[in-house]
Amino acid sequence: MTKTGGSSTTRGDLRKRRGLSKLEQGYMGFFLILPWLIGFCIFKLYPFVSSLYYSFTDYDLFKGVQNIVGFQNYIDAFTKTKNVKALQVTFIYAFMTVPLKLIFALFIAYILNFKIKGVGLFRTAYYVPSILGGSVAIAVLWKALFKSDGVVNTILAMLGFSSINFLAEKNWALFIICLLRVWQFGSTMVLFLAALKGVSEDLYEAASIDGASKARQFISITIPLISPIIFYNLVTLLVQAFQEFNGPYIITNGGPRNATTLISLIVYNTAFKDYKVGMSSAMAWVMFVIVMFFTIIAFTSQKKWVYYSDDDGRG
Amino acid sequence: MSIAMIIFLVLSIVLLGLGFYGGTVDMTTATGISASIGQIRNFYLMLGALILFIVIYRFIFNRSNLKVQHMMSTTIRYVILIAVGAFMVYPLLWMVSATFKDNNEIFSTLSLIPARPTLDGYRAAMNDYGGDINIWRAMGNTYKYVIPKMLFTVISSTVTAYGFGRFKFRGRNALFALLMATLFLPQVVLNIPQFLMYRNFGWVDSPYYLALIVPTLFAQETYFVYMLIQFMRNIPRELDEAAKIDGCNIMQTLVLVLVPMLWPAMVSAGLFQFMWSSNDFMGPLLYVNSPARYPATLFVRMSMDADSGFAWNRVMAVSLISIIPSLVVFFLAQNQFMDGVTAGAVKG
Repeated sequence: MTKTGGSSTTRGDLRKRRGLSKLEQGYMGFFLILPWLIGFCIFKLYPFVSSLYYSFTDYDLFKGVQNIVGFQNYIDAFTKTKNVKALQVTFIYAFMTVPLKLIFALFIAYILNFKIKGVGLFRTAYYVPSILGGSVAIAVLWKALFKSDGVVNTILAMLGFSSINFLAEKNWALFIICLLRVWQFGSTMVLFLAALKGVSEDLYEAASIDGASKARQFISITIPLISPIIFYNLVTLLVQAFQEFNGPYIITNGGPRNATTLISLIVYNTAFKDYKVGMSSAMAWVMFVIVMFFTIIAFTSQKKWVYYSDDDGRG
Repeated sequence: MSIAMIIFLVLSIVLLGLGFYGGTVDMTTATGISASIGQIRNFYLMLGALILFIVIYRFIFNRSNLKVQHMMSTTIRYVILIAVGAFMVYPLLWMVSATFKDNNEIFSTLSLIPARPTLDGYRAAMNDYGGDINIWRAMGNTYKYVIPKMLFTVISSTVTAYGFGRFKFRGRNALFALLMATLFLPQVVLNIPQFLMYRNFGWVDSPYYLALIVPTLFAQETYFVYMLIQFMRNIPRELDEAAKIDGCNIMQTLVLVLVPMLWPAMVSAGLFQFMWSSNDFMGPLLYVNSPARYPATLFVRMSMDADSGFAWNRVMAVSLISIIPSLVVFFLAQNQFMDGVTAGAVKG
């Protein structure tokens, strides 16, 4: 293209460039995500698959694989008292914290959504714990609050109750670990608040003209319209709850008598204290299958109860 | 009066009666807690009083005009919000005040103002525990990997989001499904095989925290990629087209056109990564062994193990110092945090 005709050259160049960029697009997109793909294969896929393999062996942290043991680790996972107990505790933990957190977060977001003065202040106060809650410092604080001569027992004493050794009684200990999780309801609440702000006022007005009570409006208008966010929160909270580690590890170290040994703790302890990597991988896989099971249930059930307005499907 | 209210009224009278009587239900066997008659009575009295309050409240509410009703419900809302707020904030304020108390005072009062303010906790916090580590070094170690993680995550996630959000290529949909699947992949399954792999690489206890940092170069924190893709969807494609016609190549389009638009989301992603990495405990627990390289999270835990019998003001001071940078960052940028939380889930 060395002709001198100005305008035709530029048009030709433009066409050529467009044609080229279309071709480029075919590779460029792939090129851009290539680092992620390589990382995915090294840091996710390979560990994922190798973990499945280890779960069928007696991999020792220092000696490596000596024998293929077949399903023995999985049989142990469902028969050894310690492992079964960890499964139970994790279920209790997940089914206590997830609904409590959802309901509590929705309740507070609902109240905050009225014309409240100082919304920002309240929102910040509720949000700070969830930004710091995962840290070791907060777990240490929790221990100081609930230890036998801690702050909460001082309060109980003032109210005329006798003190409770929260971290040594097995039911209480698990409850305290759950409470730490529920205390971090802030980010769930911020999501609900944003969703509630998106519900049009007109709908409520129309409903009140028809004589619907506040409770009725909440069930028939609010819940369906924010159901995508309820769904999102439900799934993320479930996945998180099954992975909780810091709280029980630092506050109770799994005790008393394994009452707070969640699966993540037993996975860690089996691999790094007993050196039984094979057994530990099997427990991790059991947990993975459980999490997947609930995630899939949540996703398949969403057709029944999650309402997406027609112009806006999430994702 | 509705039936529900009558039921509640009866219930509250029964509970109050039980409370005054002393309690007949034996709670000791149910919970395994040795409860005295006195506290069972207190429990029933409080529960009964609460229900009675609700009944009376509803009763007055139903008989009032709209204006009074409005006032009543507003008051109740504030009472709830303040009560919950106290529950959220009191532990944190108590933590701050505990660092200024002496060890005899910490657990003996609920007051947030120390009776005998002292800096002993902080003074003790500055001392090391032997081994080549103290709180300042630990803080330094933390940010040695937090800052690179933050930068690398933002850059690699933005590039990946750009690839998925703006380009069509063979296998895109399958790869995107894979990306989304990793959003729900529990880290617990990966921890042990990752540890074994990094051990082979020689990354465990690396002075450069390679095991913690390197994966972030490859956009492995799916949540941020997802968040940025969602955000990118709201930027009109015409902008890219215009840039292309103006002669920008693909990277120029990203840097000159999209990044300025994406900036708020990128800042949010960076801030969240900052918080999460500073709080991360499992990572350092697995990959940092020598005390000299301990980050703040491990140091706090060490301090708790060493001092929790007697020097709680020191433990609290160490803990508080370790989260001060996070607190400062949060208060400087809280709107970005709020926006960031919603960006991933709510299509704006």
